[in-house]
Amino acid sequence: MNAASRHPARIAARQAPGNGVRYRHGPFGIQVDTPLQELRQLLAWCYGPPARGDDSDIPRFHVRVIHGPLYRRPLFPQALFKADADTPFAPFPRSHAFPLLEWGLNWCIATRAHQYLMLHAGVLERDGHALILPAVPGSGKSTLTAALALSGWRLLSDEFGLLDWRGGLLWPLPRAIPLKNRSIPVIRAFSPKAELGPTFPKTRKGDVAHLRPPEDSRRRQHEPARPGWIVFPRFVAGNPLVLTSLRHSTAFTRLSQNAFNYRLLGATGFDALQGLTRTCRCWSAQFGDLDAMVSALERLPHPQT
Amino acid sequence: MSLLLFTIRDPAALSTLSRHQWNLLLRESRSQRLCARLSWIIEDRGQAAVCPPGVWPDLSAQRFFSEYKQAQIRLELRKLQKALGPLGIPIMLLKGAAYVHAGLRVARGRDFADLDIMLPRERLEGAETALERGNWICETKNRYDQRYYRRWTHELPPLHHRTRSLEVDVHHALLPLTGRLRPDPALIWAAGRQLRDAPYVVPCPEDLLLHAAAQVFQDGEIAGQLGGLLDLHQLIGELGTEPGFWDRLLPRAEALQLCRPLYYGLRFTRSMLDTKIPAEILRAAQAHGPGALSNRVMGLLVPRVLEPRYPIRRPARAAAWMLYLRAHWLRMPPGLLILHLFRKALRGGKD
Repeated sequence: MNAASRHPARIAARQAPGNGVRYRHGPFGIQVDTPLQELRQLLAWCYGPPARGDDSDIPRFHVRVIHGPLYRRPLFPQALFKADADTPFAPFPRSHAFPLLEWGLNWCIATRAHQYLMLHAGVLERDGHALILPAVPGSGKSTLTAALALSGWRLLSDEFGLLDWRGGLLWPLPRAIPLKNRSIPVIRAFSPKAELGPTFPKTRKGDVAHLRPPEDSRRRQHEPARPGWIVFPRFVAGNPLVLTSLRHSTAFTRLSQNAFNYRLLGATGFDALQGLTRTCRCWSAQFGDLDAMVSALERLPHPQT
Repeated sequence: MSLLLFTIRDPAALSTLSRHQWNLLLRESRSQRLCARLSWIIEDRGQAAVCPPGVWPDLSAQRFFSEYKQAQIRLELRKLQKALGPLGIPIMLLKGAAYVHAGLRVARGRDFADLDIMLPRERLEGAETALERGNWICETKNRYDQRYYRRWTHELPPLHHRTRSLEVDVHHALLPLTGRLRPDPALIWAAGRQLRDAPYVVPCPEDLLLHAAAQVFQDGEIAGQLGGLLDLHQLIGELGTEPGFWDRLLPRAEALQLCRPLYYGLRFTRSMLDTKIPAEILRAAQAHGPGALSNRVMGLLVPRVLEPRYPIRRPARAAAWMLYLRAHWLRMPPGLLILHLFRKALRGGKD
């Protein structure tokens, strides 16, 4: 009928999986096409060997990390992120391909996964109950999430709290936790178990190193958890630990400002958030010491069931 | 054929797709921004259950954008009515806004870039003052652009309210004043229908379809307008069942000078989307086609730029460029066109 159907061989060549790798991040299948060998090695270090590229799973996100313009290659090589036909970011230095891919996937998820109310929060689980740590950037959320993931909590996610607005459960998305600047030595000192990847200096968020998600979290990435506690953390250097109980309405307001797609979901988002805050016990927490905060969170009263 | 076109033509055939084809279908729909509309096409034909695991929640979740935009449009219209109503200026809804308020199925899952309304030309000055007083501001700062809009086009420079982001396009005619075809707005106003549940006027069904066709094939660059072609396909399916619609369509097109875009609209919805159009109408519309050569050239170029090519083929840049020139050719006389393209080239795509 048209040019495409007349050239099946050409289609097959363009579609050949060749340099594509598939991964599973919680509910999302992801295909990454990239000629960058270092990037594929880092992916394998972080998430294990890629899934076999059979047709059993339809990738939700099909992304590419490709070489930047040819003329820059000899001296300042670049990497470019593409999500289907979109190019959401300006190119990065090629050595920063991994953080570029991670941020690119965040962009894909934030702009598309509206079957969830997406909280900007770290989420961990213990004894079947999920702890939600919603926070603004710079509040120490990733550091705290990393520390808890290294202290016996199951990591569900660092960036996205995926609340299924139909069932009210939180779904895991266990990916690398990007630690920034001073968090990197803090987490190294916190636990000898911490497996950190290479440090990427001078990214748009400063120096970044990724904490590899624990094996157990990856293995259990299809097990959702029931929301139990909501704690709004804020790191203030030198401050003693202060845990303040929050009213449901306060927690609701703060969460509505923190979610990625609360406004977009309209009434659906409102209902989901109301259900969430009603079933959880809510606190705000100021902390200056990571160890004290971790042990305080371990002693949180058991949520009502 | 592209899998997206294949699905629109025959949603019942979805059950025959392999996983690999599903993957391609999703990538095509994503690149055309038609996921939400695809989800409605699937649901209308009861095919949600044949989607592979995970696909249906993903597709149907994309409807939130459209619903959010529709809420914004309704809000903006209430505010506009508040500003213009007291002056007795009637508001006619065009395109997406008309589909939403007329309760047409074509609005479901549709992408709304902006809000398009039409005001009577003689009331334009008063309306502009009222909108300025109501804190709507003009986005176009460039003086050439301002003059371009005011002297040569069918609309004011785009407005938006100081506290809201939705762009409002205030028209006083359907097509540019400098264009080859100039449908008389008075005729459209005369046939317009007052909505029962809202203080707005919408064009009569024939005019809705004719405007949608003109939008794609007269005033648009065609490339990337598969959504516009889908509008035509769905409008024909929905409005075509109104008694007398097909009898009135061609005479109306003649009265509004919109026979040519209608011809293209019918021809390409029929050939690309397999739209149900009465045979005698198709035959009659053919009399309004262009000469044999133009007709063949359009037949080559239009499917090339409308059919989704991503991710299998490279974009049809040459065809898109030729149709871009054609759109400008139709929009203004040659002398003006050369000056205008020259100025735009000097600016080099900035602002």
